[in-house]
Amino acid sequence: MIDCQDVMKRLWEYLDGELPDEDVAKLREHVAICGRCSPQYRFQIAFLGLVARAAAAQGPRPEFRRRLIAALGSASPPAA
Amino acid sequence: MTERGSDRLREQFEREALVHLDSVFCFARSLTRDETAAEDLTQDTFLKAWDHWRQYTPGTNCRAWLFTICRNLRTRQAERDKRIELADTAELDSLASAALHAALAEPDRDGGFLDMPEFGDALKHALARLPEEYREAVVLADVHDQGYPDIARILGVPLGTVKSRLFRGRRLLQESLLAFAKDAGIVAGGA
Repeated sequence: MIDCQDVMKRLWEYLDGELPDEDVAKLREHVAICGRCSPQYRFQIAFLGLVARAAAAQGPRPEFRRRLIAALGSASPPAA
Repeated sequence: MTERGSDRLREQFEREALVHLDSVFCFARSLTRDETAAEDLTQDTFLKAWDHWRQYTPGTNCRAWLFTICRNLRTRQAERDKRIELADTAELDSLASAALHAALAEPDRDGGFLDMPEFGDALKHALARLPEEYREAVVLADVHDQGYPDIARILGVPLGTVKSRLFRGRRLLQESLLAFAKDAGIVAGGA
């Protein structure tokens, strides 16, 4: 059995896919039926989505890309 | 080395390493918080990666390898603040986040309001103000989808420290969002 306190402690690990397999099913079952934990679960998903969107990978300026490729082109081959 | 051998290496480098230019630049910018410094750090990262390309094992997590180089260069560049390492506070931060949820999610318990554009801007500012050790863990996990073991290798810290820094970083971000939501009158308690 897993209680609400355990779910709150381990929710991020679960969402990060880092929870041991044996705990995943227990947490999933609890969240599915618990009126206290399921909004928390959906909120954390929305929060992590916001972080990913807000800080999404934006590339460098095109001039920088060209400068880097030129610098690599004139660099010596990798050391053996 | 023959010219042909060198060309083959360059093709392999372009295919496996250079495709991650945007990610490395994004990570470098999260470390430096400055476009020009991020470009310099990115260039140094790729030049070093090319110089050590024979040490890379093809088919492994090249992005994590590049992040490691980038982060090591940055560490050497800047004299870092010596912060007191957190003990195992990961669970405490998870619980604190649950308490924060109660206040922050007042208007919508599922957090649907986080889709509002102003929260994106608020989060960007909060992320930029986050201490570097937390910011790099959050960016690696939540933007670049790196798992805890890869982040531990990139940052050169134990797994428990990855969790502590990541969870503390997320909690601090949520606190900033709560302050923003109060100021904006989205939840009660503002000025």
